[in-house]
Amino acid sequence: MKSKYIVLPLLITIFGSVVGFVSGGGSSKPIRRDIVVKARQYSYEPDRFEVNHGDTLHIRLVSLDVMHGFYLEGYDLDAEIPANLKTFKIRHPSEGFNWKDTSEIVIIANKRGKFRYRCSHTCGTMHPFMQGEMLVNPNILFNAGLGATVGFALGMLGMIYFRTKKSRT
Amino acid sequence: MYIYDDKIEKQPSVEIKLPEQEHSFNKHDLLKKSPLLKRILKARSFQFLVILPNLLVFYVIIIAGLIGTPVGNRNIAIVFIWILWWFLLIAIMVPFASRIWCTVCPLPFFGELFQRMALIMVRIGKTFNLRNKMFGFNLKWPKFLSNIWIQNIGFLTLCTFSAVLVTRPFVTSVVLGTMLLLGTLLAIVWRQRVFCSYVCPVSGFLSLYSMASTMELRSGDKDVCKKCKDKGCIRGNEDGWACPWFEYIGNMERNNYCGLCMECVKSCKNDNIALNVRPFASETKIKSLDESFKGFIMLALAMAYSVILLGTNGTVKDWANASESGLWGGFFIYAGILWSSALIIVPGVFYLFSYLSKRMSGVDSVTVREIFKGFSYILVPLGLLAWIAFSFPLMFINGSYIISVISDPLGWGWNLFGTADFKWQPLLPEYLGYVQLILLVVGLGYAISRGYFVSFRLYKTDKAALMGLIPMAGFALLVTMAFLIFFIG
Repeated sequence: MKSKYIVLPLLITIFGSVVGFVSGGGSSKPIRRDIVVKARQYSYEPDRFEVNHGDTLHIRLVSLDVMHGFYLEGYDLDAEIPANLKTFKIRHPSEGFNWKDTSEIVIIANKRGKFRYRCSHTCGTMHPFMQGEMLVNPNILFNAGLGATVGFALGMLGMIYFRTKKSRT
Repeated sequence: MYIYDDKIEKQPSVEIKLPEQEHSFNKHDLLKKSPLLKRILKARSFQFLVILPNLLVFYVIIIAGLIGTPVGNRNIAIVFIWILWWFLLIAIMVPFASRIWCTVCPLPFFGELFQRMALIMVRIGKTFNLRNKMFGFNLKWPKFLSNIWIQNIGFLTLCTFSAVLVTRPFVTSVVLGTMLLLGTLLAIVWRQRVFCSYVCPVSGFLSLYSMASTMELRSGDKDVCKKCKDKGCIRGNEDGWACPWFEYIGNMERNNYCGLCMECVKSCKNDNIALNVRPFASETKIKSLDESFKGFIMLALAMAYSVILLGTNGTVKDWANASESGLWGGFFIYAGILWSSALIIVPGVFYLFSYLSKRMSGVDSVTVREIFKGFSYILVPLGLLAWIAFSFPLMFINGSYIISVISDPLGWGWNLFGTADFKWQPLLPEYLGYVQLILLVVGLGYAISRGYFVSFRLYKTDKAALMGLIPMAGFALLVTMAFLIFFIG
């Protein structure tokens, strides 16, 4: 591929990502959301919940069988959930292993995108694959990524078109 | 694959048809650049010395799986095989070093030892048409099985039970032990490495994805091969064993069936073997439908694993994990969906896109079947990059288990190196989505750009090639978007 044509997919990729970013929708007014996450071998219920950027989340954790964990990526949060109790332990991984007892986690959804929560306490055979998803809208990475991907594909075809134009004429 | 025995028996001076070179890429011969590397690869002890440590680790892993803790993330069998080895294999070895894993793989070790009755030395003699003395029955592998269908079905079968395979140390050990046994038994009965070439389920996808690798072993000058009377590479001589993979390097144009054992580097009298570094996805020719279907199987499995292992739905996990959940009805639904997706639905959709490609190209002289087979190459960069994107979370989320099991490989409470209490700690989990996005887009880019080469080969003119490429680029885009939804949507 001649180097001058590489500019084309790059430009259309950037354009696609911008279109995806803009069309992803803006933020709505932040609200309080109360969420109960029930853990069982080897999934969470709900296994996915959606909130909006800026919402205040009050999360209660319950385990229905054995002890589970709740490691929420991106939010520096880890919890240990004993079976059939209303209280559980939480810590901030960046601060080490300073566990505190609590009955509710309160976080502000101040980061956009998809964040997985994973079991952090070995709970059985499928433990490493026990996870759920918190989606904080708008999901900028996905929207922009999708736009960029479509743009990239079109740009690649455009690049091939211009590269081979001379031999067609 | 070069069927050496038939051809050589019929015509002592072999007439070699040189492959057509359709696209030229810049290549750099590492053996010319590094005399030290050449000396190492020429050493007779090379392969034994690289397999030996691997064999010892393999032995420890099998034992650990059998007698260690049944908790997967605390047993070295699971952590080393399904986190460390898998990540190194799919994300590093295959894309950058072709089938280098086959160079060090311990599975054929005992079988090859039986055939050769030698660890390092070469035996001169005569075994059918070879100039090496080999032991065993040396039967010919049946012609109708000389393809990768057994590997396709074997891999799909193993992966159907993946939820058990990758979480139960005992099962992992039994499967590895069975493969070791099979590799040995087949070598006693049949010639050379038939296990690696036709049976090993790992070898199947290595063969397909090695086409994209940035490394290749090739003849330095094919004219030299054509004039060569010795042909030690394929017939063996006093310096090296005949190629155990049935490959003749003089006409080898793809990585698929070269296990990089380096015997030809030793046996070539003309010093005409090159270990080239080349651009990613330099080979673009799929030769048969078994290879095409390997691409579909791998793609469907990457999607299925993204749902089962990286997904969140508990019901699907329970179905796949029926031996524990007891949901066998669900398991058969899951298995049915998996097999039909891999063998019917995804290939069927691809066939429709192939038909569209033919219509859009306006070329009637090419059949849809040829288009289907040719374009299935785009599944190589697309699938490989999707698998790498899938494997990144496995390593970055669960990689910290490696540190703890090194000190306590059996999960028995040992602390050999003081790291047994190292806690599970995911590495940069919130940034993995960016990495996955980039990997998928790179795969899409190679699928389209190399897809054009395929299209030109099929349709012969630039215009028809471009028009014929559009539907296939659409297929690649849809696949990429599906993975984006799985990973970051």
